Formats: sequence, C-alpha cells, structure tokens
Amino acid sequence: MAATPHPRVAAVGRALPRHWYDQETLLAALSAHWSSRHHNPDRLAELHRAVQVKGRHLALPLEAYPGLDGLGKANDAWIAAATDLGEAAVRDALARAGLGPADVDQLWFVTTTGLAVPSLDARLCNRLRLRREVRRTPVFGLGCAAGAGGTARAADLLRAFPGEVAVMLSVELCSLTLQRDDASIANAVSSGLFGDGAAAVVLLGGERGTTAPRGPEVVATRTVLYPDTEWVMGWEIVDGGFKVLLSGKVPEVVRGRVGPDVDAFLAAHGLARSDVRHWVAHTGGPKVLTAFGEALGLPEQALARSRRSLAELGNLSSASVLFVLGDLLDEGAARPGDLGLLAAMGPGFAAELLLLRW
Amino acid sequence: MTAREQAVAAEIRRIVREELREPGPFSDDEELAGRLDSLLLLALVTAVEDRFRVILGADDAARTRSLADLARLVAAREAPPAPGPEAAP
Repeated sequence: MAATPHPRVAAVGRALPRHWYDQETLLAALSAHWSSRHHNPDRLAELHRAVQVKGRHLALPLEAYPGLDGLGKANDAWIAAATDLGEAAVRDALARAGLGPADVDQLWFVTTTGLAVPSLDARLCNRLRLRREVRRTPVFGLGCAAGAGGTARAADLLRAFPGEVAVMLSVELCSLTLQRDDASIANAVSSGLFGDGAAAVVLLGGERGTTAPRGPEVVATRTVLYPDTEWVMGWEIVDGGFKVLLSGKVPEVVRGRVGPDVDAFLAAHGLARSDVRHWVAHTGGPKVLTAFGEALGLPEQALARSRRSLAELGNLSSASVLFVLGDLLDEGAARPGDLGLLAAMGPGFAAELLLLRW
Repeated sequence: MTAREQAVAAEIRRIVREELREPGPFSDDEELAGRLDSLLLLALVTAVEDRFRVILGADDAARTRSLADLARLVAAREAPPAPGPEAAP
C-alpha cells in the first residue's frame, strides 16, 4: 500500500492592527507613565533601543490604554480586537489558498495573550460562517512556541484525516497584557519588544487536492520539553492580568539546547544541518536570534528574514514565526526539493520544530 | 572598604536577596556578571540607581566587576551620603 502523502502548507495569511507607532513614540508614552518610577530616565530608553525594533502595531490607539485598568477591561478589548484580527487573517489565508470558509474541516486557535469562553475559534466559526461540523481546538499557554506547535499538531492530525483542510490561527495582542504598575526590568524589556498581530496557516491533508500554488510539505514535527525549566519564562496571573516572567537566561538556554535537538530531529530523517536551505526562526529578540544562529553555526544571512520581521513588527509571540514563513512564501525563494526548518521556543521551556520540504 | 562602602555593599546584598530574589551569600569580590544574568544585572543597576539616587553609565559598567567595585562607585557618587534606614548594617 502506498504511503499517504505528507500534509502541506497551502498558504499563510496575516493581519496587523491599523494603529502603528514608531519605537520613539511608544517609548515617550511609556516614559511619561513610568518616569517617576526610576531615578535614571535613560534606563527605559536604553532597553527599548537594545531590542532593535523600529515600531509596532497596537490593537488599540495609544490613548486608549490608560483606561484599561484591570484584567476585565483589557480582556474585553482583547476579545473584540482579536476576533476582528483573527477573521482578517483567516480570510487572507483562505483567499491565498484559493479556498472558502465552507472548505474548512479543522480550526486550531492558539494564543497566550487573552481569554475567551466560548473560545475565539467558536466566535470565528459564526463570523466566517464555517460549517457546524468543524473540529475546533483552542490552545492557550504555549506562548511564543504556539505558532510552530499549533501548526505541527494540525499537520499531525491531518495524517489521520488526509482528505481534510485545517486552518491554524494565531492571534497575539501583547500590548493588552502590559502591566502598567509593574516596574520590573522584565516588564520594561517586554514593553519595548512585543507587538500585536495575527497569522493563519492553511494546511491540506496529503490527499486533499487544490488548485492553489504548492507550499511546502510538513515532512515531520518534533516537540521537546526541557525538564525543570519552568522558571525561564511565563505569566504570573495577578489581579491586573498577565505579569511577565522572563529570565535573562533565555539566550543561554537556547544556545545550550537547540543544537543537539535540531541535529537529533534531522538525523531521524537522515539529514544534517547542511541539508536545510531555509531557516524559519521565531523572532524572540536580537540576543535569542544570535543564540539560535550560534547554536546551529548558521551564517548571518540564514536568519535575515527573522531579523527583518523583528525590526519591522517586534516580537508577535506565537504569530511571529508564521509571519516569517509567510514572507518566505511571498518571496518565492524556495525551489522544489528545498528543505526548511521552522523553529520556535516558548514557555515550558520547550521547542517546537517542523521539517518542511518544497 | 570604608564604613560607608560596607554599608552600601550590605544594602546591595539586600537588594539582590530581597528584590531580585537571588538567595545565597554574595562575597565582596564575587563577579556580578558571573552571578547575575543580563536582565538581573540591569535590574540590580536600576534598583541601585533608584535606592541611592545615583546615575550609572556605560563607562561605569565597564570598570565595575565585583560587588565591592559597585559599592565603592556608589559611595563615591552619592550626595549627600545619607543612608536610609534599611542601609544600616
């Protein structure tokens, strides 16, 4: 019996909020609020410039944020904005794939920046008029790794349902999690690094035909949880919402772990690093990208797409790696037979890896 | 170290222990960068600036290796040298 072909990526859709601010404008707004907190007014500016982000899109206009006092108001704003942005990303992805809402069999939804019950995927089924039988899977808490992890799990499930179409949506509105009373350095770094955005991947089961341009196959997936590293990053849930926990050791953990894990994953498929032509890496931050590149011995150019995305949009948490994948597809830089590795790391601490083949 | 420098060092140890939540002893000549990661180091510098009302620049960081170096630098720069109640050894 012939093996079922691998599931594959048909398209990546993206959506950004229309409110965009350059880094200096955002810094000025935060400095005005935080100026009384620190004796040295240059500290926040130093942190914001170090993350090498030029500007960010925000879910709401800047002047709306001071009114979001408490989790309830911030989360209500999150539900409204996330539904709009999620709908736009899914519509963009389906249009690029040459498919319509009625073609969707599975809807995955990942986020770590807001809460909704019914979950956002249910609300989007109504908005988009998806079929009533769509299998929905909302995932909260994989953090920055969720774009890769959700895509991996969707591809895994398509192996059981090779005739189906899956949409994997990530919506992250990091700006709505900012704790204005948290004077920690981790919060100051986050306030300079993270932006808002949504991305959706359309995946086709191996037996699902389409007229859309061919994207890469998902040849294999791997997830690795690093034991006893819960302290590396996460949320502390406080009355005000989600307070960021972020260790300065993230680059060190990435540098120490990612090489052996990528090698083992590739070796399981008879491959080595030199076989990989396209590296699609989460835009964690400048130091994390440097650590990722050093761990794998990559030339600077290999992560140029991730660095460019970081500079233009900031870290969009789980959506970031999908934006980078979308940029790669748009550029048409991959040729048939090329191999790619999509990688993201997030709270756990954990890595999600996907082996792609064009 | 002078008495004032020792008092500053004691307060820096308190910040590391209580505000940065880094337990364990911290000797005068232990390297700061060897013990604290980049974010914690910046958190310490910011907390020291706030506590002692001093400004520490990039040049200061280059010649401040140990906890004693930091205590001497802060003691030399702070004005007036009026220790807060927590700084008492």
